[in-house]
Amino acid sequence: MNRDLTRREVLLGAGALLALPALPAWATVPAPQAGRVAVAKCKTYGPELLPALSKMFDQLGGLDRLVKGKTVAVKINLIGVRSQRLGNALMEDTFWTHPHVIGSVVHLMGKAGARKIRVVEGPWSSPETLEEVMLSMNWKPQDILNAADNVEFENTNYLGRGKKYSRLMVPSGGLIYPGYDLNHSYEDCDVFVSCAKLKEHAATGVTLSMKNVYGSTPVTIYGEGAGVDEPSIRPHGGRGGTFHFARRMPSKSAPQQIDMSLPKDAGYRIPRIVAELCTARPVHLAIIDGVKSATGAETNYGSPNRPQAAINPGVLIAGTNCVATDAVAMAVMGFDPMAIRGTAPFVSSDSMQQLGESLGIGWRDPSKNEVVGAPISEVVFSYTAVRDKILAAKKKA
Amino acid sequence: MALNTESIPMRWPAGPLDIARRKNEKGFTADTAEVLRKWLDPATLAVVQGTPVNSLVVSWASGLPADAEQQLALKPLIEKGLKAGLQFVGVIDGKADRTAAVAAAKAAGLSAVAMDGEAPVNAGITVIPRNGHTQMRWTTNSPVMGVSNGVWPGIPQEMVPTGGPTSLPWVNSNGAVIRIARALAPDKGVWIEFDPPQGAVQPAEAYMLAVADTASFGAGWVISLDDALRADLTANKQPAIDAWKKITGMVTFFEQHEPAKTFHQTGPLAVVSDFAGSNWFPGEEAVNLFPRVREPYRVIARSRAVSASFDGLQAIYYVDQEPPEPQLREKLIAFAKAGGTLFVPSKWPEPEGQPMEAEQYFLFSLRALGKGRLAVCKVDHPNSYDSVEDIQTILSHRNDQLRLYNAPSMNFYYQASAQGGREVIHLLNYSRRPGSDGPLVYVKKPHRSARLVSPELASPVELKWVSQEAGGAELSLPSIAVYGAVELES
Repeated sequence: MNRDLTRREVLLGAGALLALPALPAWATVPAPQAGRVAVAKCKTYGPELLPALSKMFDQLGGLDRLVKGKTVAVKINLIGVRSQRLGNALMEDTFWTHPHVIGSVVHLMGKAGARKIRVVEGPWSSPETLEEVMLSMNWKPQDILNAADNVEFENTNYLGRGKKYSRLMVPSGGLIYPGYDLNHSYEDCDVFVSCAKLKEHAATGVTLSMKNVYGSTPVTIYGEGAGVDEPSIRPHGGRGGTFHFARRMPSKSAPQQIDMSLPKDAGYRIPRIVAELCTARPVHLAIIDGVKSATGAETNYGSPNRPQAAINPGVLIAGTNCVATDAVAMAVMGFDPMAIRGTAPFVSSDSMQQLGESLGIGWRDPSKNEVVGAPISEVVFSYTAVRDKILAAKKKA
Repeated sequence: MALNTESIPMRWPAGPLDIARRKNEKGFTADTAEVLRKWLDPATLAVVQGTPVNSLVVSWASGLPADAEQQLALKPLIEKGLKAGLQFVGVIDGKADRTAAVAAAKAAGLSAVAMDGEAPVNAGITVIPRNGHTQMRWTTNSPVMGVSNGVWPGIPQEMVPTGGPTSLPWVNSNGAVIRIARALAPDKGVWIEFDPPQGAVQPAEAYMLAVADTASFGAGWVISLDDALRADLTANKQPAIDAWKKITGMVTFFEQHEPAKTFHQTGPLAVVSDFAGSNWFPGEEAVNLFPRVREPYRVIARSRAVSASFDGLQAIYYVDQEPPEPQLREKLIAFAKAGGTLFVPSKWPEPEGQPMEAEQYFLFSLRALGKGRLAVCKVDHPNSYDSVEDIQTILSHRNDQLRLYNAPSMNFYYQASAQGGREVIHLLNYSRRPGSDGPLVYVKKPHRSARLVSPELASPVELKWVSQEAGGAELSLPSIAVYGAVELES
């Protein structure tokens, strides 16, 4: 049975009967905004990609309206250990935003008059430049850098080119943390774009445009090797110890957890952190690469019930509201956008999208949003069906 | 046959001295003592009959009352072994009277003795230096150098990462120590000793890994079996016989694998150090950690660096805290000026070249030097892993010669033939379990052919090249439980 969370349930912990502190009295939660989401069929990363993206941006009201004369930060998804691929499939064909999608987005933004485009990501544990990360996967980063004028990369796992971390507070006061200290790139931008992959996640069911923002947090503060009092200079480790399981706290210099008695369950914590990050650092444009992807998430924790397979959904999704865009993306993946904890894809987690809706970011219900371009019914690609097929074949074998 | 670099050693614990040495160990039982007695029986030599093992390492003198009895008790075993063409090496340790023990060994027909510290003058018998890795040394009359404290290779349980399934696990390997030993004494064979963990029966694959982790790097493991396996072998139990067959099968594989025996180390990076005193730790750490970031490299002993070839190198990591001798410094600087990158410690006096402000890295400051770069470490005692990570970043993945995917528990070792045209990539799986996906190997330089050879395969597997859009090609390998070698021909 699907149902919306009430504001009180969000504050008290997603329906769990936990006595948690309410948000501060001054906290306000705006009414969710309706969003427009464009959907396009796109089977390959070849010549059809650029026109498809261009048309989608036009359907959303035009990129120039959003980026002309502005500094744009494009958060891409390069998460996971690079040396671990799904068979011989390329990372960009499974779990990472494809370089041609990144290059096309950058190109179209440049064409629309963006003043500066900064491609950002905090690749797992790595201090390397994004260019080096891309080179290690045999990409041609120069193609992205040359796709428009004034393009630069920044690894946001650490201070990077900034002189200090930017503190972005959660407007409602926060569910886990009241605010976050992030690399300057997330503040030094007029437009923030989440350029994600249409994929699943072991702990949170799906990784879409909202969950992509999770990787914006610097591991010098939120990583397992973060400094205790101050951020470490160099990034070490992933975010699991701090964010997923609260085995440790962020560096003391950063805003601390609101209540130390909060559950240490990844399915509770990650969706809240994601939802509040998306209010602290609002997403102006969500783009989801579903041309090629994979079932089962990049780390399936060895679960035999979550088999991984490279897939070709052949779809692109973009929208000006990350909750609405993710909701459409879920529908495309064959999931119910209104699903709550206990139902696929949120088998053991709360819904980030539901929490985002409760924090006033946007609506999950497709009927409250405007969906343009290819009808969802024409692009549905059921991830569950693929997994079920694999499981059935395994059972038979 | 005299002891030589090709000899295949096996520890042969037997007799009263081994009983005396071990009787106070936890887990030592009457059964253990019985097996140690049984292995004195010349009939037990049947265990090595038909195997490549040709040198048995026995306890000879430890300065204990049991020494004399031991030497007497070993006599029938040694006599029969010598007749069968085996060699015997006596271990002398503890407070033994070395001169007397050496004389007794010579009289008993032993081929060599192995001992720590200095060999007695005019020993009249080969003395294998047997020391811990930080005290590695070699004597002129010994064809092999002994390292007494190798590690049982694998993934130590206590080091299983807590960071989740996306972490690369820690691995225990003898590769670094062997590579350093071979760099310090390239003309010597290296025998490395380590025992299986006590109290647990090891699967055959664990022993196979122990063989591969030493032989692929060009050393010989002094094969050491656990008590249970030795007992079961004596009792002719089939599972033990099968396990022993697998172990000796791995030894035979390396005996017959020409690349492992004759090819030399290759890679775009060289680690230069004397690996002595306080330089041991940073030097050994670098040699140990580059495999975890999958960076192929060569090890060059500082004493040999002036005469060593730097051909094909893109970078050199000079590890030692004290500056190099003038002639070596001149050669290193010339290497950088010609287009290479020279990594040096923070104490490098009066660094050459001009600062490159645009190039910012965590641990190294770069200086333009001719066509190349001098990278000076910013701190006196850098974290070893951070150092290798930054060195790799500065080298740039653009120049990666090899990459390894889907093999988190694997290391590789890259060798090339002296004549060129042939290369081998040794792949060692420290988990001893085949992955659900086989490893993927990326090779930048095009080759005419590639094949996988492994004792796990009935016959070599020809590998198919899959060209990559941005250059290079990938080889998709079948799953490997312990060891495989990719042989490339151009």
